[in-house]
Amino acid sequence: MRAFELVEPATLREAAASLGADDSTIRPIAGGTAIVLMMKAGVFRPERLVSLRRIERRHAAIERTAEGGLHIGAMATLTALEHSADIRAAAPVIARMLRNHSNVRVRNVATVGGNLAHADPNMDMPPVLIALGARVTTISSDGERSIAVEDLPAGFYQTVLKPNELIAALEIPAQHARRSAYLKCTTRAAHDWPTLGIAVSLGDNDARIVISAATERPMRLTAAENEFRDPRKAAEAAADTVKIMPDARGSIPYKRQLVRVYVERALRAAMEAAS
Amino acid sequence: MNKIMRHGQVGRSAPRLEAREKATGRAEYVHNLRLPGMLYGKIFRSTIPHGRIRSIDVSAAAAHPGVYRVITAADVAKVVPNPYYGPAFHDQPILAIDKVHHVGEPVAVVLATDPHVAEEAAALIVAQYDELPAVYDEVEAMTSKAVVHDVLKPAGTFPDLKHLQGKTDTNVALDFHLRRGDVAKAFAEADHVFEHTFRTKAVLHLPLEPFVSVAETTGSGLTIHTASQSPSFVRIEIARLLGWPENRVRVKVPYLGGGFGAKLYIKLEALVAALALIVNRPVKIALTMEEQFFTLTKHASTFRIKSAVSKDGKITGRECEVWWNGGAYADIGPRITQKSGFTAPGPYDIDNVTIDSYSLYTNLTPAGALRGFGIPQLVWAYESHADMIARALKLDPLAFRRKNILREGNAQATGTIMRDAAIEAVLEQVSARMDWEKPFARSSGSVKRGRGIAIGFKASISPTTSVAIVNVAADGSATLYCSTVDMGQGSDTANAQIVAEVLSIEAEAVRIVHPDTDVTPYDMATLGSRSLYHMGNAVRLAAQDAKAKLADLAREVGVPEGSNIPIAELFVKKYKMQAGNIIGTASYIPSYVPPEAETGQTPNATPFWMVGGAGAEVEVDTETGHVRVTRLVNVGDVGTLINPRIVATQLSGAAVMQYGFTMQEQIETDGGQITNASFADYKIPSILDIPPMESEAVDAEQHDGPFGAKGVGESGTFAVSPAIANAIDDAVGVRISELPITPEAVYRAIRARNGDPLEDA
Ligand SMILES: Cc1cc2nc3c(=O)[nH]c(=O)nc-3n(C[C@H](O)[C@H](O)[C@H](O)COP(=O)(O)OP(=O)(O)OC[C@H]3O[C@@H](n4cnc5c(N)ncnc54)[C@H](O)[C@@H]3O)c2cc1C
Repeated sequence: MRAFELVEPATLREAAASLGADDSTIRPIAGGTAIVLMMKAGVFRPERLVSLRRIERRHAAIERTAEGGLHIGAMATLTALEHSADIRAAAPVIARMLRNHSNVRVRNVATVGGNLAHADPNMDMPPVLIALGARVTTISSDGERSIAVEDLPAGFYQTVLKPNELIAALEIPAQHARRSAYLKCTTRAAHDWPTLGIAVSLGDNDARIVISAATERPMRLTAAENEFRDPRKAAEAAADTVKIMPDARGSIPYKRQLVRVYVERALRAAMEAAS
Repeated sequence: MNKIMRHGQVGRSAPRLEAREKATGRAEYVHNLRLPGMLYGKIFRSTIPHGRIRSIDVSAAAAHPGVYRVITAADVAKVVPNPYYGPAFHDQPILAIDKVHHVGEPVAVVLATDPHVAEEAAALIVAQYDELPAVYDEVEAMTSKAVVHDVLKPAGTFPDLKHLQGKTDTNVALDFHLRRGDVAKAFAEADHVFEHTFRTKAVLHLPLEPFVSVAETTGSGLTIHTASQSPSFVRIEIARLLGWPENRVRVKVPYLGGGFGAKLYIKLEALVAALALIVNRPVKIALTMEEQFFTLTKHASTFRIKSAVSKDGKITGRECEVWWNGGAYADIGPRITQKSGFTAPGPYDIDNVTIDSYSLYTNLTPAGALRGFGIPQLVWAYESHADMIARALKLDPLAFRRKNILREGNAQATGTIMRDAAIEAVLEQVSARMDWEKPFARSSGSVKRGRGIAIGFKASISPTTSVAIVNVAADGSATLYCSTVDMGQGSDTANAQIVAEVLSIEAEAVRIVHPDTDVTPYDMATLGSRSLYHMGNAVRLAAQDAKAKLADLAREVGVPEGSNIPIAELFVKKYKMQAGNIIGTASYIPSYVPPEAETGQTPNATPFWMVGGAGAEVEVDTETGHVRVTRLVNVGDVGTLINPRIVATQLSGAAVMQYGFTMQEQIETDGGQITNASFADYKIPSILDIPPMESEAVDAEQHDGPFGAKGVGESGTFAVSPAIANAIDDAVGVRISELPITPEAVYRAIRARNGDPLEDA
């Protein structure tokens, strides 16, 4: 690791302004759990890091909206989410998922914004948020915009965010009577990044079924969603259609089998979950 | 069961002497050491598995701001003319000379006052190679055209390696053979013959404190501060490399953050010594976690085992062929090949046995000792094989083992008569804890339950020596000087208890001086569970020597025999003030007879035997292949217990480590390149992975051990892997023959058994 400049702006707006429009050696740093690993591995060698630690406290807040949804500042830590009464009330699946997410040291510092901007395909939170229909609001010198979490990843470790665009907040709509579940499958150790993640959100007449980790990016399994009333059929449809990425955690045929098993189990878990 | 000795010091769970120091961050580690003017070295490593070095361009690195100097083998040659080291072979150069033999081999070192500058600059070095064909598989290495070393260079310390001197065109770094009885006849007359092959992959020690060494030149020579398990060996080997007398090399070892066999013999010490001599400033090299993957692994292995069995289940003959993947440098591999090799037939009473055990060079990271010295690889094979035979003959696995077990007084494969080896007791205790003879609830839907047992044994490495000094000061306080390295196993506490028992004082009052070869006497090394027996005996004898001298002193000053006059007053009576001291010393070397070269036979193969048994209960998810170990029972024969709590944690810690090697860990390679060199991708067990465990020792005694004790560090590793594989077979009827047991491997085996194999990757 070589020396670099660290700036600590006092506001989110200033932070966005300190980022270059197209300089890949300047990046924001939030919890630092992902970006520092990339620096240690030498795959990212920054000239400047823009720390978000000193920006306004409100960007770490978790609030219930008037409609019954959630507004979560980008700097909220995963631990804050895990223990928030509002999250447990409005989207308990998030709190349940976080219990098996990384480890307590990582959760204590990792942030929602960093998690979503990192765009590692092997993650647990994005599929859950996609299933819940969540969106992020962003800020840049061009102003603010809203992006569905589903549309955020652009590929392997890539997002649609512009280099000088920051995630400001996460918006989760009211879930009303929807029931949700998330199943994480690991194959090398209990505390590993997922080999496969399946998130399900069930309404009366529809389901959102989202896969992560086994695929190039988190995505909806539309073929399975169309069969959601019959978990076994949905599982077969998912296994038949999904394009799987092999890695050290499992081969393509094995991960396809895991998809078959976990889509069915996740759907059944959602059916049994409280709304 | 637990024997408390007369003075109550041996046999009690004394809290670890160093616990407070460690918990409050005061314990000394080499990682924290900074010396005035010290330079940090960063190693530039080979990126190819095998090749001739065409050029090394260090100009950009040397010109990098802040760099003090860049060193290559050419510089090393000026201070160490023949810079090859190693315990069994002098095959490992301090920095690569002419050739590189594995990915990650040290080629050059950048020195700078800032470690980050050294790291940046190391990335600027450019080496060019002419690549050579490489070999990675231990069985292929027997016959491959790719040959790792041009000439074999045994160190000369081991007689059974002498015949390899100067050999060319071979990757075999040792072939060990044992012949007992008439195996051909046993197979010809057998009712049943079973033959299976088992494999293990290379795994890693991964102490949380990676390798670290500091060297400084002094007026008289060199001082090396190092995280080493073998300070005496380091001193002797550095002295040999430099052509110096031993007393010019001083080796100091504080606490270690784990070792597990990684930090044995020489690792970074020769390199920092050469660097310090070249630049005449203190030099420190501290490896990263990633660099541990390039330094030392546990041997990958292949074991072909074949048994002749009578129809009532008696094993009448056994053929063992074992190939050990030693990587690019021999390290201690040849000793593993022989010392562990001779137990390859397992703890069974078999009249006709052959063993052929081969240590192979390959173009991978060197392999060495790892908590068990090769035994877990062997037990994996012979105890999986045992269950496969029992199942085929429709015999209960416990009954089959009882029928064949090696009992006290029986001859082991070497011909050595078994003494103080509680093999039978361990087997019985495992099965009792497992309620083996009671019915077992098996299935709940797609998740199937099963259980398995296994038992393994090990001989202590021999002949080895330990020396200890017990110093009683004029106020009666006692200090132990010994070169056993406490790397977390609790040796300081156990040795203090032994001193305390002999001198009738409190263990907590005994001070231990850590290894410093200018101060503490010789010890072969802290390895192979040898220390409590060898050093423990030396410590006991040294304390007895001190006690005898105190008795002499009492007589001299006219104190009647059996008086309870405080020790301090004896000194005052003699010296008229608080002055003087009593030095007790002893050295211990057990008897041993080397095996005959052709047959491997010897009447005295080892000073003592270690025994470890395990029982596992599992749940197998037949839809995904996930295995959950719901219960793991570990039982060991460790002789009497000097410190029961430390014994229990050594057994459970060893079992956890082997559980990782069984279910999770493997070094993944692609064309000789390691693709998972980090904790992110090489998964050791976390608290969430560890199964519910019960760990205990059988009631036993090693007649010539200190107070009846013997080693305990490794026994908990022996039987874990096959116990789990046997339980999986019991649950779902599939046999996994290669470690680690991944969910995908289990799922594939289930599909194959169902006649519907999963397509290849
Ligand atoms: C040991 C370990 C185990 C893990 N296990 C898991 C696991 O089991 N499951 C799982 O899903 N994940 C796991 N992770 C990944 C973890 O979820 C991420 O590292 C973490 O969420 C990243 O958040 P952060 O705040 O630390 O991001 P940082 O490291 O600070 O940043 C990550 C990226 O996001 C950018 N960034 C940060 N904040 C913003 C913002 N507000 N707007 C725009 N860009 C931003 C940074 O520039 C960087 O590119 C693990 C990580 C570790 C270290």
